Amino acid sequence: MTSFLPDLTPLELETDPKGCCARLYESDAVRWLLDEQLHPGGEQLTRRLAELAGVAPGRRVLDVACGSGATALLLARELDCVVVGVDLGARAIEQARRATHAGVRASFLLGDAEALPLPDASFDVAMSECSLCTFPDKPRAIMEMARVVRPGGSIAIADVTADLDALPAQLRSAAARVACVADARSAGAYAALLRDAGCEPLAIEPHDAELRAMADRVEARLRLARMLAPPGDEREGIREAAALSRLAIDAIARGTLGYALITARV
Amino acid sequence: MAARDILPAATRSICPHCGADLDAELIDRDGRVVLRRECPEHGPIEALAYGDTVRWRNAQRYDRPGAAPLLRQTAADKGCPRDCGICPEHAQHTCLGIIEVNTGCNLDCPVCFAESGTGHQPDGYSLSLAQVESMLDAFVAAEGQPEALQLSGGEPSIHPHILDMLAAAKARGIPLVMLNTNGIRLARDPRFAPALAGLGVHVYLQFDGFDDATHRAIRGRRLQEIKQRALDRCAAAGVGVSLAAAVERGINEHELGAIVRFGVEHPAVNGVFFQPVTHTGRHPGFDPLDRLTNVEVIRGLCAQLPDWFREDDFVAVPCCSPTCRSATYALYDGEDLVPLPRLVDVDRYLGFVTNRALPDLEVAAALSGLFSASAAGGTERTAGRLECVACGVGLPEELQRIAARGFMVVAQDFQDEWTLDVTKLRKCCVAEIVPDGRMIPFCAYNAAGYRAQIRADLAARTTA
Repeated sequence: MTSFLPDLTPLELETDPKGCCARLYESDAVRWLLDEQLHPGGEQLTRRLAELAGVAPGRRVLDVACGSGATALLLARELDCVVVGVDLGARAIEQARRATHAGVRASFLLGDAEALPLPDASFDVAMSECSLCTFPDKPRAIMEMARVVRPGGSIAIADVTADLDALPAQLRSAAARVACVADARSAGAYAALLRDAGCEPLAIEPHDAELRAMADRVEARLRLARMLAPPGDEREGIREAAALSRLAIDAIARGTLGYALITARV
Repeated sequence: MAARDILPAATRSICPHCGADLDAELIDRDGRVVLRRECPEHGPIEALAYGDTVRWRNAQRYDRPGAAPLLRQTAADKGCPRDCGICPEHAQHTCLGIIEVNTGCNLDCPVCFAESGTGHQPDGYSLSLAQVESMLDAFVAAEGQPEALQLSGGEPSIHPHILDMLAAAKARGIPLVMLNTNGIRLARDPRFAPALAGLGVHVYLQFDGFDDATHRAIRGRRLQEIKQRALDRCAAAGVGVSLAAAVERGINEHELGAIVRFGVEHPAVNGVFFQPVTHTGRHPGFDPLDRLTNVEVIRGLCAQLPDWFREDDFVAVPCCSPTCRSATYALYDGEDLVPLPRLVDVDRYLGFVTNRALPDLEVAAALSGLFSASAAGGTERTAGRLECVACGVGLPEELQRIAARGFMVVAQDFQDEWTLDVTKLRKCCVAEIVPDGRMIPFCAYNAAGYRAQIRADLAARTTA
């Protein structure tokens, strides 16, 4: 474990935040930090989101920013729906394709959430798990989801919620953006974006405890990583990341940072 | 064992004044669990059983069904706790056996559940090697392969045959053999620690804090230099040590964090056991509704070391009654300390969470061994189990090595005449092995009159 965190220079973070996020979540180190659970609540919360969105056998489901396909494959396997996953990370898409067993109705496309390479009204459900917060143009991403879902279908979003004005400055930095914090919105603001895209918001279900558990796990693993890092920049970088995760834990405890499932009818 | 996570809960207890067996109940009072009963002669009696009702309720989920011992030495006749030895109604085998080899001591502590001391004790005793060997055989007969044994007293290190007794225990293949000592002989006799190292014995060292006032209140004299020298000799000889701190309200509650800090830094020390003082035998005055339980001890520790611990780092140990013992393991590298439960979903592996995929069985078995009354930090078995867990949850190899040195922190609340709850007692997995081969649950031994009986029997035989 010589180089623990992937090399993300500040310049990249400013100029190419989406690509930067995609690369970050592809890295082995980050997967280890998150203990392979790339979003709060793990599979259980994914199932809950699918339930809220009315995912059922045979439904056509889109997973926006699908990563290496864990959620898409889970839904296809357990709910017997037809899933398409889209992600900006080429390596993630390759991994997802490799993990797709014969007979599972899931396929994966390289593509940008803000310009989905998919026809209008071609899905019953569009989902986005813990990724909208990292998109620079959120209205655009939601418009795209609304475009590819048929009228009467649903959009289901699981995401970090934040009261941005009450967050400490460090949690609004570029580094915090990739950790899904700096550019998150309040649950109400997400609902407003859905309304602006012509959808009818249905439910907002808070799950702050799941975010807290995840932040705890990351904080503990960063502290372990610090034990292994050679003295110098890398160790200091990890120390800073651990401090950032502690600020996030405090913010969750104060209620200024949270996690919610949000659904809307198209 | 049926879960009992609803209060009030019916149980049985005794009167601390006359020893009468009484119906009792656990009730919630202002968010804490109180054991209440009424003695026809001495009126209403109440004592704090657990310092937090919500935590008490959560802990009940950890009440794993017990395993039967190979032998039951007594019949169920008069009802718990009057048939001990182990009777057919006891719900657990023995994880940790204790043999008190003598009553003589080289200290006269104001706090001593065993009522030992330096003066001539007309009711005292000292077991022979042959007696201890037959007690060890009884332990092996009851357990098949016993997991852990502690030789205690009195002060066992002053027994002239203590090394032979420890060797006899090791010869019976017991993996963890401990000597419970105040450390005076370790400090004074330079040959003693190397002898223990040669036998592969683990030291369970009384260590109550650093303030002179703490030592005077609990042990009657200053002991800090002696403890330090004993530990340094253990380190030089390669003897692993667990620090055992008797913790009392208003005396050394403020030293919990300092004891752990000292422990993680000292090369001989692999763990700390905090034991709220039991108010049995010799003890100072106290308020039974304001005594310390594991909750107060863990909370105090977390408040004193907030960067290292929080309350949910401590796991209720499932082999005994889950409010008896809470434990954690921590990875420490000289700068930071990370508790193991933050890295592993212990609940999931110990089977308390339903509707989850069956986890890795090897990891589950290792965790089950770690969170047990027969575990101690720094032993080969503990290191092996920690490595298995670290590997099972995908820690890099370098971290697996740090994990194997895992530091154990335990809060262990024994019962006394005030707090005796037979529902807890029936699940007890720590037993006093007595010369006739009975194995008496530790808290019954202290609280239900067995200690006095056994001591009188032995004293009579010694003088005869």
